[in-house]
Amino acid sequence: MASSANSNQVPKVYRTVMEDVINEVRELFLDEGVDEQVLMELKTLWENKLMQSKAVEGFPTDEQKALQAQQQQAQQAQQTQSQTQPQQVLLPSAQQATPQQVIVQDPKIFQHMSAPGMSTAAALALPAGVAPIQQFITPQGQLLQLVRAANGAQYIIQPQQQMLQVLPQMQPGAVQAPLIQQVLTPLQGGLSQQTGVIIQPQQIVLTGNKVQQNTQAAAMAVQPEQGAAHVQPQPQPQAQAPQQQPQQTQASQQPPMVLQVDGAGDTSSEEEEEEDEYDEDEDEDKEKDGGEDGQVEEEPLNSGDDVSDEEDQELFDTENVVVCQYDKIHRSKNKWKFHLKDGIMNLNGRDYVFSKAIGDAEW
Amino acid sequence: MAYQLYRNTTLGNSLQESLDELIQTQQITPQLALQVLLQFDKAINTALANRVRNRVNFRGSLNTYRFCDNVWTFVLNDVEFREVTDLVKVDKVKIVPNCFCSLVGHTTECTLAVWPCLQMFLNSLTLISSDL
Repeated sequence: MASSANSNQVPKVYRTVMEDVINEVRELFLDEGVDEQVLMELKTLWENKLMQSKAVEGFPTDEQKALQAQQQQAQQAQQTQSQTQPQQVLLPSAQQATPQQVIVQDPKIFQHMSAPGMSTAAALALPAGVAPIQQFITPQGQLLQLVRAANGAQYIIQPQQQMLQVLPQMQPGAVQAPLIQQVLTPLQGGLSQQTGVIIQPQQIVLTGNKVQQNTQAAAMAVQPEQGAAHVQPQPQPQAQAPQQQPQQTQASQQPPMVLQVDGAGDTSSEEEEEEDEYDEDEDEDKEKDGGEDGQVEEEPLNSGDDVSDEEDQELFDTENVVVCQYDKIHRSKNKWKFHLKDGIMNLNGRDYVFSKAIGDAEW
Repeated sequence: MAYQLYRNTTLGNSLQESLDELIQTQQITPQLALQVLLQFDKAINTALANRVRNRVNFRGSLNTYRFCDNVWTFVLNDVEFREVTDLVKVDKVKIVPNCFCSLVGHTTECTLAVWPCLQMFLNSLTLISSDL
């Protein structure tokens, strides 16, 4: 079995901790008179950051699993929607960009704003906290709805067929609707009454007019790390299309970067050759804050030897830290023995946990 | 009081960042954020103690060791972490085992390890007893 027990454990443990914390602080929030929605927003922010860090593999939530299933269903199903009531919410997997036809952002905020008892239903009506405050029709004739969510962020709900167009607010509460100057939609048959889409502010996708390029660009851009954040005024999309296309061509030609950690073994072997250079770094401050400086200075040393591997440099960006408690730390001459317990490790960018760790080192 | 040392982990940092964002938008008070972090400390300590049951071995060369403010910090080079199924190699790793509250239970090991820190250790005992 290739997968280790540890990487199977970590997501569950983290998930447990998160649920515990959120449930315990719910009372605190209520005591302070803070709305439940803020609690949900905290949870969402927390989850998103964890996923963005890529420190935890396959950090799933029950919602996301359901979303993925629904997403695939929604692609095939065509639902008639009235323009004023987009009921279908496509919930995507926020972690991995699904290079499929339907590209939707993570509407966790959207979900959480609904009643707590609401499960991840495939069809969600606009929750009470979200009210369409503005509807406008794009030059293409599509009816868009500007929705102001309870948390201040504004979303655009638009009936979409196979593409996702998002022009969300970058700063919740501070941006007004006019910023969203144009929403470009792939016109496949004009007004389509497909599923509505809720977009989260964090991912902005700008697509051109050409459908094909849109598909690629949006598919690429949906990936969290590649959201191209351009919002360009385009009163006439078709006139501006040529300008967009080169940009999107660039975006679409960038393959999704997948960080390979498999090469850890190779990495360390390269490092062993540079032990002498590490000695020079001893003088550097090895405090926690200074540790980052040490990393920065190591990179130029490493980058000279690296031929083409950007991944190694990215690995070096993470300072491998183990935070734990100890049972015993023993030294005999220059031989140290460590008996550690209850630790969380971040090695090569990934998180691990242990209940016991025993180590040897020579000074 | 649970150890706060797990705040500087992926999980803890992401929580702190999220709380900071909410504070900046004034959706919660700093006081409330602190309460959340305290709750997080409890939850993570409990989870690690009860839910995690695995063992890791590691071997490497010790670059530096430090014992300051009742906290050990080790920097190791060329370390191999072994679990039953995994092998993870890193070139440099910092280990920060917290001994703040555990000094009372592990005094002898602590003092034997590094003599010069004995005085600091004795000072810390009074601090701990007042905390308890």
